[in-house]
Amino acid sequence: MSEMAGMSESVLTGDGLVKRFGATVALRGVSIGIGRAEAVAIMGPSGSGKSTLLHCLAGIMRPDSGAVYLHGERIDTMGERARSGLRRTRFGFVFQFGQLLPELPADENVALPLMLGGTSRAKAVAEARRWFGPLGLDGLEHRRPGELSGGQAQRVAIARALVTRPAVVFADEPTGALDQATGHETMRILVEATKHNGASLVVVTHDPQVAAWCDRTVQVRDGLIVTPGYGEPAGVAGPTLPGRPS
Amino acid sequence: MTGLLSLSWRLLRGGGGQGLLGAALTGAAVAMSTTLLLFTLAANAAFQARADREMWRNPVEARSGAVAIQATALDYVRGEVITVVTIAPLEGAERSGVHPPGLDRMPRPGEVWLSPALARLVRDLPAGRLAARFPGRMVGAIGDDALVHPEELVAIVGRSPGDPAIAGAEAGPTPGYSPATRVAGFTGRPGGEIFAYQVLTIIASVLMVVPLLVFGGAAARLTVARRDQRLAALRLVGATPGQVIAMTAAEAMITAFGAALLGLMLYVAAMPFVARIEMAGGPWFVGDLWPGTLPVLGVLLAVPLLVGASAVIGLRRVVISPLGVAKRETPPGMRFVRMAALLAILAVVPAAFSQTSVAVVAVVLGLAFLAVNLAGPWVVGMVGRITTRVARRPHTLLAGRRLVDDPRSAWRTIGGVALTGFIAGFIGLLTPSAELLGNPSTTDLVVLVPAERAGEAAERARARLDEAGVAADVETSALRVSENRPRRSRLTVRLPESADAAQVDTARTALAGLVPGRVFTSPADDQHDAVTLLADLRTGNLIVLVATFLVATVSAGINAASGVLDRRQTYALLHLAGTPLNVLDRARRTETLVPLAVMGGGSLLTGMFCALPLASLAIDVSGALILLVTIAVGFAGVIAAGALSRPLLRAVTRNPAPRPD
Repeated sequence: MSEMAGMSESVLTGDGLVKRFGATVALRGVSIGIGRAEAVAIMGPSGSGKSTLLHCLAGIMRPDSGAVYLHGERIDTMGERARSGLRRTRFGFVFQFGQLLPELPADENVALPLMLGGTSRAKAVAEARRWFGPLGLDGLEHRRPGELSGGQAQRVAIARALVTRPAVVFADEPTGALDQATGHETMRILVEATKHNGASLVVVTHDPQVAAWCDRTVQVRDGLIVTPGYGEPAGVAGPTLPGRPS
Repeated sequence: MTGLLSLSWRLLRGGGGQGLLGAALTGAAVAMSTTLLLFTLAANAAFQARADREMWRNPVEARSGAVAIQATALDYVRGEVITVVTIAPLEGAERSGVHPPGLDRMPRPGEVWLSPALARLVRDLPAGRLAARFPGRMVGAIGDDALVHPEELVAIVGRSPGDPAIAGAEAGPTPGYSPATRVAGFTGRPGGEIFAYQVLTIIASVLMVVPLLVFGGAAARLTVARRDQRLAALRLVGATPGQVIAMTAAEAMITAFGAALLGLMLYVAAMPFVARIEMAGGPWFVGDLWPGTLPVLGVLLAVPLLVGASAVIGLRRVVISPLGVAKRETPPGMRFVRMAALLAILAVVPAAFSQTSVAVVAVVLGLAFLAVNLAGPWVVGMVGRITTRVARRPHTLLAGRRLVDDPRSAWRTIGGVALTGFIAGFIGLLTPSAELLGNPSTTDLVVLVPAERAGEAAERARARLDEAGVAADVETSALRVSENRPRRSRLTVRLPESADAAQVDTARTALAGLVPGRVFTSPADDQHDAVTLLADLRTGNLIVLVATFLVATVSAGINAASGVLDRRQTYALLHLAGTPLNVLDRARRTETLVPLAVMGGGSLLTGMFCALPLASLAIDVSGALILLVTIAVGFAGVIAAGALSRPLLRAVTRNPAPRPD
C-alpha cells in the first residue's frame, strides 16, 4: 500500500518532501499521509531523517521542495508567524522533557496555550484542570514541574498538547526519559487521549515497543520511507477523557 | 590536579558559540569590575599622595636645630589660588643639606622658584598683572614632588630672616596660611583640606563597592548558567563532588584571572584620561592614579578568588545531586526578617547620623546600603506575588511566577540600578546649592594692618594703584578685637564692581608687599575652597552615579543573557509549540521593569531618608536635575541591556534540535 493512498482522507499530508542541511540530504522526497484520529509511529536509526520529517510536517521547518497540507490547505509556504500560530492552535507537541515552564504550577502550564490564544486566565485554568482527573493527575494541579515525577510531567505535557483541541499531536521521543513501565503507561495515555479527542498522533521514536502503541509504523532510512505499513492497533479501553463525544 | 586543570581548560575552549558568548560576557563583567575596583582604590591612594605632597607647606615648629623660617600664604590670580611659601634660611642651612621638596637646595634670599604652571602664567600674563609680585631672581622650577597636582600654582620665595615679610606673616582668613615658623626640616604635617576629600572618597568607595560585589555575583551566576548541565553530566559519569567543585573553580578562576588582567590593562589605558578629571583645584599626576603594586596584585588575586567562590556557591545544586539542576521545587518564601533588618537600620539612622564621627556615619551608611540589598529579594518576591495574583495576560503571569520563583535572580538583574537609586537619593539631598555661599564680592580687596599704621598704608596703597593705573577707593575701618591683642584695622581697596579679572589682578600686583607678609584677598577668594569643594562634590556625585549605573546596566544585561541561556531549552520548546517570541520577550521585560520601578523608587526614598539628618543645606536644583536625568538614563540602560539579549533569545529558539542530545 502506497503512503499516498488514502490521501483524500488525510488530515495531514507530506508530499515529496526534500530537506538538505548543507551537503547532507536529510529527506529525499518523502510522501506521507496521516488519517483522522490515526496514530502513526515514525521509526528509524539516528540520523535517518525522522525528526526532520516531524519538523517539516509540524511547520517547524520548511522543506526545500515538496508540500505539506493540513486539511487540504498548504502550510509549508506560510510565513513564520502564520506557522507559529498554526502550531499553537492546530497542533500539539509532546517532547522528551523540559517543555514545562519550571516556575508555573502544573495547571497554569496546561492553561498557557489557551491564554496565548486569548482565553481569560480563570477560564483557561478551569479548562486546564478538567484534564487532570482523566489523565491521573488529580491533586497535582498546584505542583511545579520539579515536584512531579517524569511520568507525571509527561502527562501534564500531554494535557497541554491537547488542551487547545489540536488536529494533530506531534510527539518526539515522548518516553525517552522514562523507565519502561512509566513509558508504557505514558504512551497508553497519549494514544488514548489523542484518539478520544479526535486528533491524529505522529510519534517519532526508535523504540519498537513505543511504536507498537500506534496504528501504523513508518520506517525511515537515509531520508526515505522504506517500510510503510500498519502497526498493531492499541485497542485498550481508556478512562473517560474530556474532548469530543465519541 | 593537572589533569583536572587541563580538562577544565579544554571544556572552556570547547564550549561552542553560546559557551563562548557566556565566557565573553563573564569576562567583560569581571574586567569592568576590576577596572572600577582599581579606580576606587586609586581614588583613595591618589588623595593620600596629594596629602603627602602637600604636607611640607604646613610647617612644624622646631624645638632645636632649626634650619629656616617658613611661612605660607595664599594669593590669587584669575580666580585661581597661588600658594606662596616664604623661606628664610638660617645660619648653616646650606651645610645641613636640608631643603624643601621639589628643590635641589635651600633657597637663598632674593631667589624665586615657581611651579611649571605658575611659570607659564608669569610668562603669558603682563608683568603688571602677575610677574611683579615675585620681584626676586627666578632660579628654577619646583619639582613635581612638591606639588599637589600638575597645574598647581606654587611659588617659593627666599628671604633673609630679618625681612619684614617674615616677621609680618600671620594665619590668614582661610586654612592654608601659616605664620612664620622656625623649622628643622620640611616634612610638615597634614593639612585639613584634603582630609575632607579623603573622607568623601571613602564614603564614595563604600557606595561603589557594594554594587560591584552584587555585580561579581551576577558574573559568577552566568558562568554557572552555562556550566550546570555539563557538570551535571560529569557527575552522572562519576566525577566526585570535589572534582566538580575543583573544575568549576578552576574554569571560573582561569576566565576571571584573564579578565582581571584585561581590567588592569583597561585601567592603565584609562589612567591618562582619568587624570584629566579636575578635583580639589586641578587634574592629577598620572602616577598618583596607580593604586600601588601590592594593592593591584591583591585585586588580581582577590577577583578570581571571589568569582571562583561565587561559581562554587552557585553550583551547590549540581553537587548535591547529579539531577539537581533538573529538579525545580517550590522555593521557600523570602523571610520577612530581611525587610525587618532594613527597617531596624533605618530606625537608628537619625540617631547615628546626628553623631559627628565620620566612622559611625560611614558604617551605618554601609549597613543601610547592605540592608537595602538584603530587603531587595523580599520586596521582589512580594511584587511577584501581587503580579501573579492580578495577572490576566500570559506574559504578566509568566513574569509574576518567575519573580516568585527566584526573587534573588530578579534582584540580581535590577539590584544594581536600585542600589544606584539609593546613592542618587542620598547624594541628591546632600548636594548643596552654590547659592548657599551667597554672592561674595570679587572686587573688594582686603588686608588687616596694625591700627597705628592704617593711615600710612592707605596712602601708599593709593599711590601704588595710581601708578598702576587702577581706579579704586581705599578705605580703612577699625577692627574690634579682644583687649590683650594688638589693635587692627581693615584696609579695603574697593574696585568698581565692573572691574574685570585683569584689573583685579593688576591691583593685587600693585599692592603686593604693601603690608609685609600679608596678601590682599577678596571675600570671594576667602570662599575659594568652599566653592571648589561644592563643584567637586557635584563632579564626584556624577562619577559615582555614572560608574554605578554602568555596572548596573552591564549586570542587568548579563543577567538577561544568563536568564535566556538558563532556560534555552524551555524557550526553544515553547517556541516550537507555537508560543510567539514577543510573549516571552514581554514576560522578560515585565519581570525586570515592575520590580525595578518598585525597588528603584523605594531605594531612592531610602537613600533620601538616610541623607535627611545630614541635609541641613539648601538643595541644589540643577544637581537634583542631573540626578533625575541620570536615573532616567539608568532605567533606559537596563531596558536596553535587556533588549540586547533578544537576539540571543532568537538564536536559542531557532535551534532546530529541541532534544538536549
